[in-house]
Amino acid sequence: MMLEKNFDDKTFEKKIIPYLDGSLSIEETSEFQAFISTHPEFEKKIKAKELEIENFKKMIPAAVISKETLESIQTEMRVSIFNLLSEEPKSFFDHWRIKWEDWRSR
Amino acid sequence: MKRKDFYQLVAPLSEKLYRHAYTLIPDDLQAEQLVVDGLNAYLLRERKKILLKEVNLEDKKEVTLQRRYHFKGILRNICDIGIRRSVHFLEQMKDMRPHGYHSFYSLEPKVRFTMSLRFDAKFTVEEIEDIIQLPRYEVIEKLHNGRFLLATDLNPGSSL
Repeated sequence: MMLEKNFDDKTFEKKIIPYLDGSLSIEETSEFQAFISTHPEFEKKIKAKELEIENFKKMIPAAVISKETLESIQTEMRVSIFNLLSEEPKSFFDHWRIKWEDWRSR
Repeated sequence: MKRKDFYQLVAPLSEKLYRHAYTLIPDDLQAEQLVVDGLNAYLLRERKKILLKEVNLEDKKEVTLQRRYHFKGILRNICDIGIRRSVHFLEQMKDMRPHGYHSFYSLEPKVRFTMSLRFDAKFTVEEIEDIIQLPRYEVIEKLHNGRFLLATDLNPGSSL
């Protein structure tokens, strides 16, 4: 009985990170959640791993974009969209709307 | 969909796109260029689909769904171009590495991109599979390797 418990604990301990990652399959996730609900002491181990993950997330850069760069990217994106997505006019007015948009995007 | 509607859909994504591009090439100008090139490649590939797809900009749920769909599409192209490009910048990148992120930028580009998709944008493993065009087991492997290497740097002897 004891051996079986240890086996369970170890098996599920290995699954903490994939569980937090979201890389477990649907069946494995429900199996894992069922295990947590019957083993409240296991929560501590999960919390400890979560903390470890939070620490190394800080090592991933979250680049801050300057206002100028943001404006420049958005202008370039607008030009690309208006140049590369050429709409087919459906009517006479549509034709002039497209021309007008083309002119404004320059 | 009209061009101005598509622009309205993707313009709010520019900052996020830039952040992901920056994980591949940590340089302001190069990251900006990568976002624009990724968008251009996406537009060239998906032009017909985009124009045929209708969008109701009043419907917030629909806007969120469509925006996420295009976000993934543009990221797929940024990943494709950026990984090839980052190989050319390998030498210069040694000087570009932002202060405090040396460990992260010593990881291989695809691992960096996968980590940023998972932990910054909070994409699921299935979504990452679709963005970086790798099978599930390789995505999981990249996440594992990235975590392991970062954790080892952070805390030598860690079991992560």
